[in-house]
Amino acid sequence: MSETWLIYLGFAAALLAVGLYTLLTMRNVIKLFIGFEVVSKGVSLVLLSTGFARTHILLAQSLVITFIVVEVSLVATALALIINIYRQTNSLDVRGLTKLKG
Amino acid sequence: MTGHIALLCGIVLFSILAVLAKDLIKAAISLAVASLLLGILFFLMGAPYAGVFEISVVAGLITVLFMLTIALTKTGGDVRESKAVRIAFPVFFIAFIVIDILVMASLLPKIHVLAGGTETGTFGDVLWKQRTFDLVGQLAVILAGVFAVLALFRKRDKDE
Repeated sequence: MSETWLIYLGFAAALLAVGLYTLLTMRNVIKLFIGFEVVSKGVSLVLLSTGFARTHILLAQSLVITFIVVEVSLVATALALIINIYRQTNSLDVRGLTKLKG
Repeated sequence: MTGHIALLCGIVLFSILAVLAKDLIKAAISLAVASLLLGILFFLMGAPYAGVFEISVVAGLITVLFMLTIALTKTGGDVRESKAVRIAFPVFFIAFIVIDILVMASLLPKIHVLAGGTETGTFGDVLWKQRTFDLVGQLAVILAGVFAVLALFRKRDKDE
């Protein structure tokens, strides 16, 4: 069973790599958030596959549902922030947010 | 297991498409397809509730929110990404996976693994009795999200 778990971990690492690369290199704030979503998919996969491998699927399911609820709340707030940023700067370029610099 | 691996490959492929697509609408749709495949995988792993949440909330609601944001910021969507981003992606991806495998191979044997065993009760028992504290946290997070969105979209007073 642990070999199956390692396969899931490998694919979750691939999702993490894709998401992290987006967060590190992209300039469009919506793209950055898509990267965050990809990372969160990897986290959901790790949580559920660990429960699946250790036969604790019910507990893993409840944790994944909690994670999804938190994720949705975060996405709604962040997208509202992005719309406000666009209204202020008229651009989605993250480099335009230099006013946040101290 | 072959079906699981095919779904996992699809999830990674559509996630890469979502990240590298120039058009934001195509990126949002690719992300929704990746979520849909992840939801199907959850069903196959014996987690139907997580699958329903993944498909309805992540593939449905979050995609609608993304579409709405893209529509409201239509003219600002033409941010030019550096060409090096697409070229360097395969190198970063392969290097990350190789380093991850090496690190995990040395770390995993040292991690204390939870004892396996069959769970008793139903999903409702686990969610409402064992994870009660998480549910209170969920309520707080939802309320915080609602108030944050309301605060961000409130009408400006005449004095402001």
